[in-house]
Formats: sequence, C-alpha cells, structure tokens
Amino acid sequence: MEQLGQLSTPILAALVVLFAPLVSFFIYAAAGKQLRTGIPAIAAIAISLTASIVVFCHVWNGEQIHQQISWFQIGEHAFGAGMLLNNLSAIMLLLVSAIALPVHIYSTIYMKGDSGIHRYWLYLSLFCFAMLGLVMADSLLLMYIGWELVGFASYLLIGFWFTKSAAIKANKKAFLINRIGDLGFLVGIAVIYTQFQTFDLLALFGEHGMVREALNDGIEWRYGEHGMPVIWLSIAGGAFFLGAMAKSAQFPFHIWLPDAMEGPTSVSSLIHAATMVAAGVFMLVRISPLFDDHVLLLIGTIGAFTALMAATIALTQQDIKKILAFSTISQLGFMMVAIGIGQYGVAIFHLVTHAFFKCLLFLSAGAVIHEMQHLKEKNNLAIDPQDIRNMGGLRKYMPHTFRLTLVAALALAGLPLTAGYLSKDAILIFAFEWSEWQSAWWKLIPISLLITSALTAFYIARLVFKVFYGKLRLQRNDSQKYHPHEASRGMLIPMLFLGLCSLFPLFSYNPLIFEDSWLIKGFELPETLERVNIYHTVIPAAVNGLAIVMIFIAWKWYAKGKYPQGSFQGALYQFSFHQWYLNLFYESGLVKPLLGFSKMLYAIDRVVVDGLVEKVTGLARLFAYASHWFDRSVVDAVVNGMGKTAFVIGGLMRGSRKGKIQYYIFSMFLVLLIVLFVGLKVFSP
Amino acid sequence: MISLTHFLIVSALLFSIGLYAVLAKKNAILVLVGIELMINAAVLNLVAFGRYDGALYGGQTFALFAIVLAAAAVAVALAIILNVYKHYKSINPDDINNLKD
Amino acid sequence: MSLLSVLIFLPLCAALLVLLVPTAYKTVYKYIAIGVSMIQLLLAVYLYTAFDTELAGVSAMDGYQFVEKLPWIRLNLGNLGTLEVDYFVGADGFSILFLLLTALVMLVAVLASWKIDKQLKGFLSLLLLLNTAIMGVFVALDFFLFYVFYEVMLLPLYFLIGIWGGVRREYAAIKFFLYTLFGSVFMLLVMVGLYFSVTDPITGNHTFNILHMMDSKNYVEGSVFSWIGNGQLFGISARLLGFIILFIAFAIKVPIVPLHTWLPDAHVEAPTPISIILAGILLKVGGYGIIRICYSIFPDIALNVAWWIGLIGVVSIIYGALNALAQQDLKRLVAYSSVSHMGFVLLGLASLTPEGISGAMFQMVSHGFLSAMLFFLVGVLYDRVHDRMIYNFRGLASIMPTYTVFVAVAFFASLGLPGFSAFIAEAFTIIGAFNAESVNGLIPRWMAIGGAVGILLSAAYFLWTLQRMFFGHTRLKGGSQWEVLLTDVNRREKLALVPMVLLALLFGIMPALVFDKINASVLSFIELVSRVNH
Repeated sequence: MEQLGQLSTPILAALVVLFAPLVSFFIYAAAGKQLRTGIPAIAAIAISLTASIVVFCHVWNGEQIHQQISWFQIGEHAFGAGMLLNNLSAIMLLLVSAIALPVHIYSTIYMKGDSGIHRYWLYLSLFCFAMLGLVMADSLLLMYIGWELVGFASYLLIGFWFTKSAAIKANKKAFLINRIGDLGFLVGIAVIYTQFQTFDLLALFGEHGMVREALNDGIEWRYGEHGMPVIWLSIAGGAFFLGAMAKSAQFPFHIWLPDAMEGPTSVSSLIHAATMVAAGVFMLVRISPLFDDHVLLLIGTIGAFTALMAATIALTQQDIKKILAFSTISQLGFMMVAIGIGQYGVAIFHLVTHAFFKCLLFLSAGAVIHEMQHLKEKNNLAIDPQDIRNMGGLRKYMPHTFRLTLVAALALAGLPLTAGYLSKDAILIFAFEWSEWQSAWWKLIPISLLITSALTAFYIARLVFKVFYGKLRLQRNDSQKYHPHEASRGMLIPMLFLGLCSLFPLFSYNPLIFEDSWLIKGFELPETLERVNIYHTVIPAAVNGLAIVMIFIAWKWYAKGKYPQGSFQGALYQFSFHQWYLNLFYESGLVKPLLGFSKMLYAIDRVVVDGLVEKVTGLARLFAYASHWFDRSVVDAVVNGMGKTAFVIGGLMRGSRKGKIQYYIFSMFLVLLIVLFVGLKVFSP
Repeated sequence: MISLTHFLIVSALLFSIGLYAVLAKKNAILVLVGIELMINAAVLNLVAFGRYDGALYGGQTFALFAIVLAAAAVAVALAIILNVYKHYKSINPDDINNLKD
Repeated sequence: MSLLSVLIFLPLCAALLVLLVPTAYKTVYKYIAIGVSMIQLLLAVYLYTAFDTELAGVSAMDGYQFVEKLPWIRLNLGNLGTLEVDYFVGADGFSILFLLLTALVMLVAVLASWKIDKQLKGFLSLLLLLNTAIMGVFVALDFFLFYVFYEVMLLPLYFLIGIWGGVRREYAAIKFFLYTLFGSVFMLLVMVGLYFSVTDPITGNHTFNILHMMDSKNYVEGSVFSWIGNGQLFGISARLLGFIILFIAFAIKVPIVPLHTWLPDAHVEAPTPISIILAGILLKVGGYGIIRICYSIFPDIALNVAWWIGLIGVVSIIYGALNALAQQDLKRLVAYSSVSHMGFVLLGLASLTPEGISGAMFQMVSHGFLSAMLFFLVGVLYDRVHDRMIYNFRGLASIMPTYTVFVAVAFFASLGLPGFSAFIAEAFTIIGAFNAESVNGLIPRWMAIGGAVGILLSAAYFLWTLQRMFFGHTRLKGGSQWEVLLTDVNRREKLALVPMVLLALLFGIMPALVFDKINASVLSFIELVSRVNH
C-alpha cells in the first residue's frame, strides 16, 4: 500500500475523475436557479472522461493500484477511505464517463426550456459523482455509500417532474425497493465484518484475500479465530445478491424499473439502462470470491428467470420506454446468468456492450418522444407521446434516428457485426458449456436463455417496425397533415458516438469470435470449463437463425400489418401486458397489509398501551377518591366530632351561668376547694 | 389562755362571713364589705402567725402592708362602684351581666 | 472554578438576570438568552477541542477531565456516620459530546422561541433553568447531585408544556410529569440503597460517588446491593431489582416500547422549542443514564439481561416505525420516528461491542440534531397556518422550495442516507449488533437484521410523507389564504437550520470527529462491563 503524498499519475487522474462532477454539483448547488446552462456539468464530465482514459491506460492489464487514507477508528479497528483501481474498476470508470458525456450533451437539447433545469444538472452531477465513487471504492463501506447515493440521485431524477403524481410514486417505489436491497447489502457487510473484521476489498477479495484463505469444512466457515456456521457464507452471498437484485432489477424486485421511466428519457438512458442498474452486476463481480455453489446457482436461476419473464412482458407493452425498460431487465438477467455460471469477465463484457446499445436505444426513443411531444403541443392533441400505437412511418421523417436505432436494435437482438453479438453469444455458449457439468435440470437455464434471445429479437423488431415502418398512425382520423422533424444535431451526435460503440470494432478485430475481444482477455477466465467446440458453432447459428425468423415474423405482423387479431385478447396476452400482475400482487399483497398492520398497531398503541396507562391513572384516581372519602368521613369526622363535643358541653355549661359575677366567684371557690381537697388527699403523707 | 387556734377560728369565721357577703349580697357596697372582712381575716392570720417570728416581725409588717393596700383597694373599688352606678343605675351585681355572652 | 461549572451555572445566572429586567424591555431578554446560549456553545466547543482523547474516564477518577470536586453536604448522622454529598462534576468521552449537543440544541431552541409572546420572561427563564439542569445531569458524578439535576430538569418542562403548549397541554404535561416521576421516585430508593451499600475507600464513610459505586470492592459486605452477599428483595436478587428499576427510570426517558406513550402526546402539545429540546436532548438523558448509571454500576446484571435489552431495542425500532407509518399528524410522525431511532441506541448498547456502543453514541448525537431539525421544520409550518395534518397539504414544493429542500435533507438524513450522520450511526449499530454473537454471544444475529428492517421502514414513512405533502400539484386545505401565509423559510429560520444540516453532513463525512472523542471511553466501558465475567 502506498502512502499518501506519493500521488502517482493514475491516482491523481482517478481523483480528478471522481471530484470533477462533485465540483460541478457544488457549482450548481451554490448558484441555484440562476445557472441554467449545462456547461459546467458537461465540462466536468468531459474532464472525468479524459482523466478516466488516463487511468485506464495506466491500469488496464497493469498493476492494480490501491491507495488509502485513514478515515476513522472504532475500538481497535481503523477504517480507511481510498480507491482500488484494477481492470474491473478501470473499465467501469471509462464506461460510466463515456456514457455520461454523450447523455449530458444530448440533455442540453432534450431538456431545453424546462423550468427546473438547474436541478437537472445538479442531480446529474451528483449521480456521476456517486456512480464513479461506487466504482472506485476500495471498501465495502464506501461502496455501500456510493450504492445508496446513486439510488438517491436516481430518486431525485425519477421524481424530477415532481408535480406529476405518477413520477413521485415511481421514485418512492424505486427508492423503497432499492432500500430492501440495501438491507441485504448491509447484512452482507455485517457478516463479512463479523468474520474478517475489515471492509477492505483488496484484503478481503484480493488474490490471497481473506475470503479465499478462509477455511470451509462444510460445517464451519472459519478465518483465524473467528468462525461461524457455514450457512452464513451462503447467507452473506445471498444478502449481497439481494442488494444486486434490487439495484439491477431482478425478479421479484424488478417492478421499480418500468415505473422509473417517469423520469426524463435522458436520465433513463444513463441511469436506468446503462450505469446504475448495472451496479448490481459490478458489485457481484467485485466480491465474486465470496459466492459458494448454492448462491451461484441461485444467481443463475434468478437471472435466467428474470430474463425470460421480462422478455415475455416486453412483447406486449405499448409504451416505448416500458418496452426498453423490460428489455433492460431481461439483459440484466443475462448478466446475472453469466455471474451464476462463474464467468465474471463475460458478465462485465455484456454489461459494457449493453450499456452502449441500450443507452442508444433510449436516446433514440427520446428523440422520437421529443418529436411526438412537439407534435402534441403544436396541434393540441390528447395523446400519450410515448405510445407506439400513435407512431409509425417515422423512417421517412427521421432517417438518421432510424438508422441509429437499427444498429442498436440489431445489437440487442445479437446479430453479427455488432457488439451485442459478441457478448450475448459468449454468455449463451458458456451457459451451455456450464450445464454440461450440472445435472440435466440445469440445462433449463441455457435453454431459457435461448428462448429469451429469440423473444428479444421479436420484441425489438416489433418496436422498430411499429415506430418506423408503415404510416404515421396519428394521421388516421385526421385530415391534418403532421410533419415530424429529424432530431437536432445536438442529439444526433451523441447518438452517433454510441452507435459506433455498439459495433464490433471497438471490442474485437474479429466480428464473429468473442474470445478475441480484448475486454474478455482482461479478465481471467476460469479454467474449470472444458471447451466444447460444438457449442461455439451451433449456438451462434441457432441464435441468429431464431432471431432472423423472429424478425421476419415481426416484419410480417407489424410492418405489413398482418398480425393475427385474435391473439390480443388471450389470457396469455393479458398476463404479459399486465406485467404478470406483479404490481397488483405487491399492492394488495404487501403494501396494503403493511399499512393496515401499521394502522392496527397504532390503534393498539392508543387503545391498549396508552389505555393501560390510562387505566393505571384511573386506578390511582380511584384510590384518590377513596382516600378522599376516608379523609372526609373518618379522619376529619373524628376531629370535627371532638370539636363539636367540646362545643356542646360548653353550651350546656353556659346555660347555667348568666353572666352573674357572683356565680363565677362561687364556682371558682368551689373548684379551689375541690383542688385543695383532692390535693390534700393525694399528697398528704 | 388564748392560743393560736382561737385566733385561727375567729379568722375563719370572719373569712366565711366575708365570703357569704361576697357571694350572696345584692348590694355592691356590702360585697365590698365582705371583701374587706376576708382581707381582715387574712391580716388576722398574718398577725397571729407573726408571733412566731420574733426577730423580723415579718407577719406584722405584711399585715401593715395589707391594711394599707386594702384601704387603697377600697378607695378604688368605691370609685368603680360609683361609675357602675352611673352607668347601670344600679349596684346590684346581678344586673351587671355584660360578661354573659 | 472549573469550566464545567461555568457551563452549568451560566444559564442560571442569566435566568435571574432575565427575571430582573423589567417586562417592558421584551427584546432585551431575548438577546440575553441568545447571548448566553452562544457563549455556552463557544465554551462547549472549547471543551470539545480541549478534550484529551487519550483519557478514558468511565470508572477511573483520574480519567475524567475538567473535574471539580467540592464538599457540599456534610451531616453527622451519629451511628450512621457522616452523610457525604459532594459537588462532583467531570467529563469523559460519554459526556463531552452531549455538552456540545446540549449547547447547540439550546441555541436552536432559543431561536425557535422567537415568536412566543405569552409571558416571554417566564418562558425564557424556565428555558434557561432547564439548560442548567441538563448540563448538570451530563457531568454530575455524584449520584445525589445527579438526582438533583435530574429532578430539576422535570419541573421547568412541566410548566413549559403545561403553560405554553397546545390544546391538550395540561393533559400532556401531567402525563409527562407522572411518567417521569414514576421512574425517578423508584430511582431515589435505589440511590439510597446504593448509598448504604457503598463506602468511600479513603474516608470509610458511605458515599454517593458514582465512581465508587462502580467498583465491587467498595461494597459493604452483606449490604443490600453487595456483590457477594447476593441480597434478596421480594424474592429476587436485589442487584437485579436495582438494575431493573434504574433501567425503567431511564428507559421511560429514552423511551422504549411500551413506556413511550407520553412522548407523542408531549411532543404534539409542546411548543416547538420544547419539542426540540425534548427530542434533541431529553431522550439522550435516558441513554446517557443507562450507560453511566445502569450499566456501569450494575455490569453483572447488564450482561445477564443483554438479550432482553436488545429485544426491547428491536421492538422499539420496528414498532415505532410501523406506528409512524400510520400517522396523519406530521409532528406525531416525527415523534414516533424518534421512538424508532432511539431503539438503535438500546440495540447498540446491548451488543457491548465497540462498534455497537460507538454506533449507539453516534446515533444519540446524530438523532439529537436531526430530530431537533425535524421538529423545528414542523414548527415552521405550524407557525404559519396552525395546522400540521399531512392530508391538509399537497405540493408544498411548488410554493415553499427552500423549505422543501430543508425537509428533504432532514428526512433523507434521518432515514440514513450516506453522507449524513445517521447513516454511520445506524450502520455501525447494526454491524456491532451483528458482531455480538461472535464476540461475546450477548445478542443473536436476527436482532441486527430486525434493526435493519427498521431502516427500511423509516425510508417508507419519510418518503411517503414527502410524496403526500410536498410533491404533486399544490392543493391546500386553507386554499389561497394559506398560499399567502405559507411563505418560505426566513433568515432567522435558516440561521437555525443551516448549522444543523452542516453538522449532520460534517459528522457523516468525518465520523472521526465523534469516534475519536469517545473511543477510549467506549473501550474502557466495555472493559468495565465485561470484566465481571471472570
């Protein structure tokens, strides 16, 4: 570990990467409403990008860099804050800043004229800072901080239009579901800390890290003097995976992502497609040595199921952004499968390629939505600008957008010459190879992936055909002519950049074989899998064959308008269209009961707990009344009685004396005599 | 021989007569006379016992004091009676019952 | 005269001064109060910086700093020896932070009482008297002195709630008073019992010195609370009974479920400055008392009942959070959230790990100014329209943007967003509680997980409130009239809020500011409590 003060170039550059967006955040926070231009934010992220290229050049396939300063101390444990730069974080830094820059530039046009734009840049800068911090964090604690902060930034951006009630419900939902994941993350951290007494990523998960050195005899999981039942190893892995499930929208926690589309489209593309949602995958890769076989199987199963489920839902959605959101969920499921089968490098590879083409898809969708919104405002139409049923034939009006969308769609479908082809095939091939070593049931995972990729081809083809082919459906009933325009250059240039990145040359000189990709080579491939050559030919062929068939069907149905009408009423269709009724289930099965439960508890609190207190006071009051009665009618009565007796006797006596002085003298004398007599009687010797 | 006992008997008789006068008479002057009789009974006692104090004549001295004081008291008492009479137009003790509440 | 005494008695002098100033000069005593609070804050900051982090304190007399010890009451009781009561104050890691917190919260409370018109003189002098009592509680090292300050604290509060409170103020004031008195009366009995059980090793007299009470060697053999004699009262161990009584006395203050019901009522009826003090400091007196008195004097019992204390903590966390979810009154929501957040303190204490106890201490400090901030913010709204039902507001963000920013910051800080102090506090409490099973086996791991569920729930009720009150289209119960009344936060309010936001951020980013000061004390405290096992 180097000491502070020896700031080498990559460390300095990494600090610049991290703090440039923070500076921009402070600029916007200080300036408030006055600063409406995006220049500081764009400048900051451009600086970040440049610096992260520097970092990447130094770190990629070089020595990993770990620099730390001490942060605080509790008991005998010191906690540091620092950065850990290796292949994984270098590529992620580069990816995040490379995606963020075009999105920032795109936003200047897309968000133009919005009254809250100063907040937009503020939040976006905060997000970039948090995301970059999450990536380069060197300890679980720092990572958790970044993890929550990106969630917070995402909350702010989803609810950017805070007067829209759908948006503010969506951001609450997103944050709460992410909180469930955070809970898992926290429990995972607690298990790790209990076992190893540190948060340091390198010490824990490094080459000779504690996690690898820990002994596991099937009953006890032991490191040094600390040990716990081996179940906690699985619980820790499961808990971290819970965090990843929420962040990366895996079943059953995926429901926040489609709703998150209420935010501006540029935000969706950056946060909810390319970077933040991939943080779960990144985190799992970062702590990968922790997972035992049970957890890996769980990850693989959930991933495959999510991929399939989301693809079936995407088939029927009518909102262009919802389709893309489910597509994102599905693709994240692919990455999870890659992790589940132990191919961490491949997971990251797919993460990177997916980031580019999915971001591009969203930006194209944004361009389309922008135009539709424009038409809507210009002609006072009562339409939803995101509904693909209103679009169609846009190919003629927006040719550049169309071409770029096509590139991204092909990449998503996984057709050759695109980056998506490389990474998706890698996952499929490895999944098949992996299943060779498992029992027959686990063949289901690669097969479901295969089905998913066929469905993927279909739904993305449906989207493209419905939006860009045929006739503009707005025109149907109207006599008026509408003329959508091509997106402006400020939007197209960032999209073009992303489009180029979605093609194969960036990743591999060989467009057909993923193993030649430099990115995969940057990660050690586990040697456990035996290469089964047949898969390397059959699977790409099968995938592409299926995809082409699917695209053809979609073309017939949607471009030519020959779809079978009956299939849109079926139960399966409804099931898919309503997103498997999961939202309904959560609403009535979890949220309402929880609220009801809390109301009931409050009633109990008022009636029983507080009631008990009231009862006790009531009892005390009863005692008080009783003692008051006693006081009045017994104690006081005695005193009064004595007084009264004396009074009565006095009265009696008084009756015989009539104020006559001689009587007084007589009685005095009498008394004197009596006293004298008694005195003599008693005291006489 | 006239012994101390005789003196004491006379004195007791005098005292009793005085007491009777004080308690029974309906005339304040006669009550005053009764008081004088009682004082003189006491003075008689003092003189009678004074015989046994040959050195200092304490009994005789006190008797002189008592006589003087009695004279003074009579003067005061008569004045009071005069005022009472002025106020109540009576010197019957039974009529003066302001002490009754 | 030690600085601590200045810190304690300065507000008392100021209270007298306020009483002497003629009623005509209203603003003068406002400024007296503010001036004194500021001087106090400066003093507290000075003490904080001058505090030596190497010294532990806890049970060792020479580990305390800024000590002042004067004989106070010496009464010859014949056969029973001499009654020895000292004026004995000193600070260690556990108290130094609370001094800073108290000074800060008091200043905010004075700022928050700017708009009070009703008998301002009485209000301010009671507030200053309260200030003295609280400062005294945090530094008293003689049980008798502690008790005196503890009771003196009650009285001004009763009047402050009962006279300046809301509609049901008398009910709330009496409820508060009875609850607390209930605890402290029994505390008096235990105090006397301890007095007759403990002797000063030097003079041989019975003593109220808390530090002597922490050492098992000072107990008279065969006395009620003696360690070896195993004295019994009503069939249970006397030491257990003593611990339980003291624990209940302080737990009412914390408060724990099911002894919490005074809190929502008191908060709802109390005027804003008093709510701030109640939540900001008073609740911490409970936690402080448990550390300083319960745990330190009865460590043997504390170890045995850790499981129950942990359970109470978890139940409070979840129960409070669920109740907060059901609230429709914003202030009541914040009050229940306090119950939930203070549950972490008990959970952390029960774990008896450095992480857990540091986390609990941090939670108390952090909750101190976060809850003060929350109540202040509720007060801002209430000042303007005299309403705080959640359903009567909607879309406040559009008409009060700065206010909304403050509320959002306070909410997110309270629900444990990293970067703010509550995050470090809650994360380490949970990590410590989780760790306990491996380190000392005091509390099971599921309790930590239960606590983590509480963090989730706190996000739920805070975000739901944000959504319901602040976002969406503006719709107010009072219509356009309210829209005029609901002006954004003014400069004085900002003056009170900004320091708290900054402090929450500062402690969140540099937790060493807290942890460094308490570390030695925490370690020696754990040493003290856990060494009784062998």
